[in-house]
Amino acid sequence: MAVQTPESATRPGPGQPHQSLGLAVRQAWREFRSMRTALVLLFAIAAASILGSLFPQRGISPQRVAQYLADHPGVGPVLDRLGMFDVFGSAWFTAIYLALLTALTACLVPRARAFARLLRARPPRSGAALSRYRNTATFDSALPLEQALAVAGRVLRRRRFRVAVHGDSVAAEKGYLREAGSLLFHVSFLLLLVGLAYGKGWGYRGQVTLVEGETISNTRVNYDAFTPGRWYGPEQLPQFSLRLDDFSNSFWPSGQPREFASRLTAVDAEGRTQRQKVGVNRPMTVDGTRVFQSDYGYAPVVKVTLNRPGGKSTVPQDGPLLTLRDQPTEVSNGAVKLPMLDPQVGLDVTMFTGFRLTQGPDGRAEIGNDPRLVNPLLVVFPWRGDLHADQVQSVFTLDRTDLRPLADRPLLIPLGATKELPGGLGTVSFTGVRQYTVLTLARDPGVPIVLAAAVLILLGLLPSLYVTRRRVWVRAVPAGPGGLRIEAAGLALQGKTAFADEFRDLAAELGREVERSPRSGGRDILGSVDAGDEAPARSPSE
Amino acid sequence: MSTATMAALSDTLAWLAVLSYAVGAALFGFELAYRARWAGLAGMAVAVAGLGANAGAAVARGLAAHRVPWGNMYEYSVMVGVVTVSAFLVWVVRRREVRPLGVFVLLPAVLAIGIGALVLRTPAGPLVPALNSGWIKIHVAAAIIGSSVLCLAAIFSVLYLVKDHFERRAAGLRPPLVAGGARTADRVEVRQAIASYVEEEAEASDDQPLPARTVWDRMPSAKRLDDLAYRTTAFAFPIWTFAIIAGAIWAQSAWGRYWGWDPKETWSFITWVVFAAYLHARATAGWRGRGAAWIAVLGLVALLVNFYVVNIWVVGLHSYAGV
Repeated sequence: MAVQTPESATRPGPGQPHQSLGLAVRQAWREFRSMRTALVLLFAIAAASILGSLFPQRGISPQRVAQYLADHPGVGPVLDRLGMFDVFGSAWFTAIYLALLTALTACLVPRARAFARLLRARPPRSGAALSRYRNTATFDSALPLEQALAVAGRVLRRRRFRVAVHGDSVAAEKGYLREAGSLLFHVSFLLLLVGLAYGKGWGYRGQVTLVEGETISNTRVNYDAFTPGRWYGPEQLPQFSLRLDDFSNSFWPSGQPREFASRLTAVDAEGRTQRQKVGVNRPMTVDGTRVFQSDYGYAPVVKVTLNRPGGKSTVPQDGPLLTLRDQPTEVSNGAVKLPMLDPQVGLDVTMFTGFRLTQGPDGRAEIGNDPRLVNPLLVVFPWRGDLHADQVQSVFTLDRTDLRPLADRPLLIPLGATKELPGGLGTVSFTGVRQYTVLTLARDPGVPIVLAAAVLILLGLLPSLYVTRRRVWVRAVPAGPGGLRIEAAGLALQGKTAFADEFRDLAAELGREVERSPRSGGRDILGSVDAGDEAPARSPSE
Repeated sequence: MSTATMAALSDTLAWLAVLSYAVGAALFGFELAYRARWAGLAGMAVAVAGLGANAGAAVARGLAAHRVPWGNMYEYSVMVGVVTVSAFLVWVVRRREVRPLGVFVLLPAVLAIGIGALVLRTPAGPLVPALNSGWIKIHVAAAIIGSSVLCLAAIFSVLYLVKDHFERRAAGLRPPLVAGGARTADRVEVRQAIASYVEEEAEASDDQPLPARTVWDRMPSAKRLDDLAYRTTAFAFPIWTFAIIAGAIWAQSAWGRYWGWDPKETWSFITWVVFAAYLHARATAGWRGRGAAWIAVLGLVALLVNFYVVNIWVVGLHSYAGV
């Protein structure tokens, strides 16, 4: 669609140097909002996204970023400095999409103004002789001029054209929805960004771990991970408590996971209770916070009793021990650290959900695991030495650098059994199995805005691609005594082939209505250039 | 029938479909090369039979697994065959001149299902919990239709580039008619007027075909191919847009965020941006025609990367889709 800019009137002619800075700025501005710039920026954003998919991203998996940095000590830090591990949050990625949105706005404003002018204005009369158009038709009519034009107007209005009468001719236009849709489509991206920024700034995401039977309050300390927006503080967390009543998981006969879900009870600040089974794809909403099922694991209930000097005994561990579940075997690993002993002792704990021994093809016994909780077994390896417990380390594993095995065989403890630790250290009991759930808690107030923007993008996209703009002119010229020659011409800015059929239909209807059949119609091949002032089908979004 | 027989039937039908499409492609190719109308008609018949086998393979697979037959890469590949070939058959019914393009539709379908069956096949089975949602029916179906038809559109753009090359060589036309140089608004208008005049001339000359010297002379004109590529893209682009939006809604309910720059999300976005660039380029002086077609080629590359490379070699949340 043509966008007439006020600047074009003051543009210097060719060969004339740019004398003022203002002109140069205007020139640059015009270039900036051109489609060429938009294309370059679209390619830039696509290329930047490729980088984001090539390198591991902190926002998705910080572990893989750490691994990459460890594997590539040379280029790693340089890439990190360039923002390659957080491409989508980097300054340059932000710069690209802000530039794209600025260019978009810069081109939308004149387009919206032009569209508003177009809506206010009446369809213009043809600037050229109607016979010069590609789609033409001519009829004879005995009607008086006003009546003939009124009939033409009626036919066109029936086909939902906007109609204007200019003296002896009627001008009609339809397909405004194309530009309206295109404007809506592009404006909706600004709305999308608003919703995105609002949700990111005033929302948060976090992860909590809950063992069956455990209740936690929604406070910062209970989160394993907490990523707040810039304008969201932990003090804004809504006050509620969350209890894991029960966790259930099931498997297909093939061993493939079928379903896992947490039965949760939430109690909010006013004491209202809410119970729901939260599964994958089935989140729960508590006080504006959404609770999603993320992961789960096993927490064997382990009791460690130590024999201390003087015949006394202590119990440093008695309760659910969080372990890390391996997929798809469902075998879990955890650790009990006993730094109070001298030398220090660590227990490497492996839990099988369904321990089984099978005969391998070579006749040797093979250890297998049934993912269902049918035969729980703890395998405990005791270690002695220095745990390095004063350093930051995983709770699930032992740092074995300064540890030596305390025994050459592990302790195998079926559910309900108690086994002696070597050297009269004490005993380990496996008293029960509980499960824990990992929940993602998130608040994103921008979601309704983003959803609305997405719907508007789609609603705008359809007419901007499928509606075509077309104009029809009908002129009545006196011919012979009391007769009229009715000329009609049509022009489509898009979809020329389909319009040829539409025009033929329209001409036939017009002919019937003016009580004469068409004298000639259809396409005139020789010299049929679309009339000069209408010909350039300007780019829809300059 | 038991689920095992259903699964076996599905596999047999999928190979039958590959075979039919290959024979159909050969027949269409024969028609193109030797102007044998009977070969084209036979090709249509074989393609219809192949589509029947292909659709049967999908249905049997769904019955064997008790779910929609698009839960992993192999099933996706089979569905790509169903969508591309049925889209092509609908076109041929509506516009007969599309028929010579059959070979360029059936061969990709053969490749898609063939690679699926040889490399990506997994036994029919249930879905992992994350995929177990009503959204799989909507999001994945839209993704299959959108990506398959965008693939076809990009293939038409490639054909356009080749045909355009031959037409230019035949006409001795110099390509840089509208490229580079002047940028001011009025020059753009002049260039556009010239370009549209040239287009119309090309269209007019299309009605009197010159005697064919190569196979390419029997293909639709470059302008028709360009037009076909554009219409096809315009049809599929909103579907692809919808697929991304539906995926975002699903991600919001499954993972608690509608967008997380997961590799699959990233590449869907890249594909979307490249085809958006194509649509814009087609309305931009200096880019319409060959420039735009090259962008569509990039779009094809992005689609293939998104399906094969991202699913097989890149670790992400969509990895469970299964190889």
